[in-house]
Amino acid sequence: MSVSRTIVIAGFLAAIVGCAVVEALARRKDSRIPTLGDVCAYVMGYEVGRVPVGRIGFFGFWWWLGWHLFAR
Amino acid sequence: MEHPTELAADAPSRAWDRPVVTLPVLAFLSLVGGQLPSFSTRANVYTICLGGAMLWLGLGNRLPRRPPPTRLGPGAAWWLLPVAVFGIFEGATFLLGSTPEYPTFSKLADPLLEDRLLRSAGYFAWLTGFWVLVRR
Repeated sequence: MSVSRTIVIAGFLAAIVGCAVVEALARRKDSRIPTLGDVCAYVMGYEVGRVPVGRIGFFGFWWWLGWHLFAR
Repeated sequence: MEHPTELAADAPSRAWDRPVVTLPVLAFLSLVGGQLPSFSTRANVYTICLGGAMLWLGLGNRLPRRPPPTRLGPGAAWWLLPVAVFGIFEGATFLLGSTPEYPTFSKLADPLLEDRLLRSAGYFAWLTGFWVLVRR
């Protein structure tokens, strides 16, 4: 395995572990860090007029991600 | 601000709307999806139909939702760190052509997802995430 590939894999793993660590910190009692679910819910609440832009964006991205990983 | 989630949050919960019911359903759908190979018409149709159904549920007011937080504190900035690390590596490897030396995340995931069990597990994670988003 090349050094560059190893670095890339380490980078992705660091990001995933980082998410898990921040989520664990957020779930502590009286934590000032919101959970990932709260962050997503807050962003999904963004609307332009009556158009739920945040929800459409999140659902569209998640839909595309599943299609990209499992179908394409 | 008029917000549809507040209306939906007041809706009465349904008998089937419990983890003991929804999780086995998601698991069954995941097992089916895990049998469908990539690049097949069936996999495309299945993914598009499942995602479309979730989108339909998520954009309507058919299911009760948890009320969203009114504001995020400064602690939310901690999320930028892992997201930025992921974005930098994904963006850089994408711009470098997603080669074996510089693979994107999906290119790394592809060989793992060829295994049907792992593929079903991935499907389950995707569908569960979708369901969580629908309820937020």
